[in-house]
Parts: sequence; structure tokens; C-alpha cells
Amino acid sequence: MVWESIREFLADPATWSGPGSIWARLAEHILVSIAAVVIAAVLVLPMAVWLGHVRKGSDIATAVVNIGRAVPSFGILAIAFMLLVQIGEGIRKPWAVLITLVLLAAPPMFTNTVAGIQTVEAWTLESARGMGLTEGEVLRRVELPLSMPLIMEGVRIAFVQVIATATLGALVSWGGLGRFIVDGFAQQDMGQLIVGAVLVGVLAIVAELGFSAVQRATTPRGLRVAR
Amino acid sequence: MRRAFRSRAVGAILGLALVVSACGSGDGAVDGDPIKIGSFNFNESVIVAEIYAQGLEANGYTVERQLNLGNREVVKPALESGEIDLVPEYTGSVAGFLGAEQSADPDTTWEAAKTAFEELGVTLLAFSPAQDKNAYVVTAETADQYGLAKVSDLQPVASELIFGGPPECPERPLCLQGLEEVYGLEFAEFVALDAAGPITVAALDGGEIDVALLFSTQGIIAANGWISLDDDMGLNPAENLVPAIRVEVVDAYGDDLVALLDSFSEALTTEDLTELNKRADLDQEDPALLAGEWLTTNGFIEG
Repeated sequence: MVWESIREFLADPATWSGPGSIWARLAEHILVSIAAVVIAAVLVLPMAVWLGHVRKGSDIATAVVNIGRAVPSFGILAIAFMLLVQIGEGIRKPWAVLITLVLLAAPPMFTNTVAGIQTVEAWTLESARGMGLTEGEVLRRVELPLSMPLIMEGVRIAFVQVIATATLGALVSWGGLGRFIVDGFAQQDMGQLIVGAVLVGVLAIVAELGFSAVQRATTPRGLRVAR
Repeated sequence: MRRAFRSRAVGAILGLALVVSACGSGDGAVDGDPIKIGSFNFNESVIVAEIYAQGLEANGYTVERQLNLGNREVVKPALESGEIDLVPEYTGSVAGFLGAEQSADPDTTWEAAKTAFEELGVTLLAFSPAQDKNAYVVTAETADQYGLAKVSDLQPVASELIFGGPPECPERPLCLQGLEEVYGLEFAEFVALDAAGPITVAALDGGEIDVALLFSTQGIIAANGWISLDDDMGLNPAENLVPAIRVEVVDAYGDDLVALLDSFSEALTTEDLTELNKRADLDQEDPALLAGEWLTTNGFIEG
């Protein structure tokens, strides 16, 4: 019965073309996820890099990640949605989801960046300064490259979480792949529900693998583990 | 829009307090398995389920609450499988859902729904005079702008309007399907929101949708001066509130239980529902307390 239901959903032409198609929902989902991560990166990375460089932020970093874990994404989404509806920007608009996802993406990036830069050994920095590098050069040429694997790890964690959580948007009238899950559940259409859930899972795995490749490429040669 | 974030915890605690006090005032316990009472995911259903629950408790029955379960797609299988025993249903909607005949006549609709449901081990007790139908609601401005009073007035303009309702609406005979088949309405767009809840209300209030699926007993309609369009071609069947209960539970407890639930149904009116909904939705009063108050006012429990 489940297979039949899945086959039926996949055979429906509306599944493959039009505004409610898998392609349209996939594009919405990916777009909002990338936007959320990019915005979060622009907002928190400069501050995190600076805090790491001056070696001050480890307490803040811990606090941020703890708060980030405690904040309920669905609660933020509902509040943001209700406020945005009042100004006519709620229904079917991505803004409430975007705000929620930015808040979700920021903590792991912030923490990993602060921690990453701080893990650069003191003697490495001393050597760099001893060679006559300015503070800016120390940051650019020593700290950032050496901490890049950890920073990218933060971005990867954020992106995968964002992809999974963007499904919530369908609960407040937005699209994305969550639409198939919410509608499939409401209509007891198992096929639609399962296809939606599997697509989100596949997307998260693809993002995970993609980022691992980016992570490897941005790791300085000296730090790469021979394989 | 604070009402969306009302603390369920407070409700749960108050409800518990009521349970405890109601148990204390009962005149001797009735033996048997607890009666598991469920409800749909909107206030009216929770209130009526609480009326059943507290009313039964006051008469010595042991009940378990499983309220706010979800839509009919969730509740019906739960009732069939025995995860819940009793739920407040609506004659027309349940008849339609079971593929039985629906009509504007309460008796015919009830009979058809009861026959269909009994094949699944669930029966309908006597229905209440109280009705709650699907309502197609527009704001006063929209009504003025397009000259809308009846659902059929939408025919020339539907293609410019956005319709908002629950995600199951496109698959439902009393929602988009019926509007298309009976009235020939094809809206510019359908937006999946919630079951006449805070999201749909906010969307209509904010002008982001033009026509909303709400319930006829919702206090917000009159409070906001909205217009509930007259169902002039009779899409909606009779929608009397009715207890849907598993046959084996009726068999186990017998006529006393049936008589008790019948007495609640008989006393409940459409006006009561509208008032209870208004107080729950707009004044954010707790459904459990409202149910207790209704039972007291109507002499079912001592105040």
C-alpha cells in the first residue's frame, strides 16, 4: 500500500512540474538554506575571528553554543511568522524561516571559529611574530589557514542542521521540501510524506559530502592527513 | 497574536486540578477500563471533549484524555484501532469522510454516518442540536469590494482571489473539492495554513489571503466584523455535534453511559459553542475550565 502510494505520487504530473513540484520545492529549500548560512556567516564570522585572534572569546563561545542549543527553532519560527503577518510579509514568504535558520546556523559557526583560531599553538604565533609578521599577517597567513578545517566544520554542521530544519517552514505556509511532509501528513498521503522525508534526508547527505570535499580543499597542505 | 503561544502547561495544571476535584465529588466509582477520550486539534473539539470527560468523571467514570490529536485523518484511525474510545464528531464531515451520504437534513446525515461507522466498530450516539459548519469567510472590505454575500457571488471573481485553509483542504469534499464541484470555483491560489486556527485568522486579518476556511461557531468572525458567505447552493451538510464511540465501550458500560452522554448533547446549543469558542479563542480562557463551567451552569456538576 505504501509503495502504491509512493508510485501514485511520483506518477502525478503535478509532482514534476509547476509551482508545487519537487524541483520548485527543492530549489526553494536549497536557496533559503544557503541564504541562511551565508547571512549567518557574514553576521558572526568577523566577530568570531577577531575574538579568536585576541584570545578572549572562549567563555562567550561556550555560552553562545549553549544558548543556540536551547533555543527552540519552532518557537522562533512561530513568533517571527506572527510578527511578519502583521506587516503583510508572512504568508508564503521565506522571511520567518530565514530568520529562524540564521539563528540556528550562527552558534556552531561562531563557536568553531573562535575555538579554531584559539587552538593555533602559542609557539607558532611567536615564531610568526618573530619572523616579523604584522598582527594582520599573523591572522591572515597563520591563524586563519591553520584553523580553516575547524571553521569549515562549523559551517558544515550549520548547513546540515539548516537543511533539516527548513522543513518546519511548511507549518507556517512557506514552501520547501517540508511542504510534502506537512501536506502528506495532513492528507494521510503516505507516498507524498515519504518522498518528502527521503528528499530532505538525501539533500542533507549530499550537503554533508559536498562540505567534506570543501573542507579537504581548504585544509592547508601541511595539515592534510595522508590517505 | 498572543493566543497562539498560550501556555499549555497552565491548562494542563488547571485541568488536573479540576480532574482531582471532580473525582472527589463523584458518587461512587463505575467499574471498568478507563474511557479514552480524544479530540481534534482545535479549541471547540477540546472543549466538548472536556465536557464529556469531566461530566463522566463527575459520575464516577474513569477517563483518559488524549486531546488535540490532529485532524480527522489522525482521529478516525485512532478510534478504529481503540487508541481512543470516544471523540466529539460532526455528522456531516464524518459521513463525508466515510463515503456516506450527506444532506442538509440532520437525521438522514446522522443515520448514514452511523451505519458507515458501525462497520468499523464505532457508533454515533444521539446528536446534539448544536452545529458547527465549515464557513467561507471574507473581510468586510473584500465583501464590499467584490459585492460578496453568498458563496456563489465568488464565481466571477474567484480567479483573482487567494483561498487559505488547512493542508488537507484540496482533498476534502467540503473544502476546495466541493467549492470547485458544486460552485465551480477555481481560486487563483490555495495556501495551506491551519485548521481555522491562529495562522488562518492572522492571514485573513493581515489581508494575505482573501477567503478563509473557518468554522461557523468561531467568535472571531463576528468580533472582527468578517462576513461568513452564505452557502446558497447547499455544499455543507448538517454538522451536528455527536459523540462517536467504540461499540465495545457502549456494550461494556451499557445504557447509563449512553444516557449520560445523550444528556450532554441535548443540552449543548450552537449559541453555547459560539460563546465557548469566543472565550477560548479570543479571551484565551482555558478549555478545561470552560467545559467545567458549562457543566456547572447546566446542572451536570455541582458548582
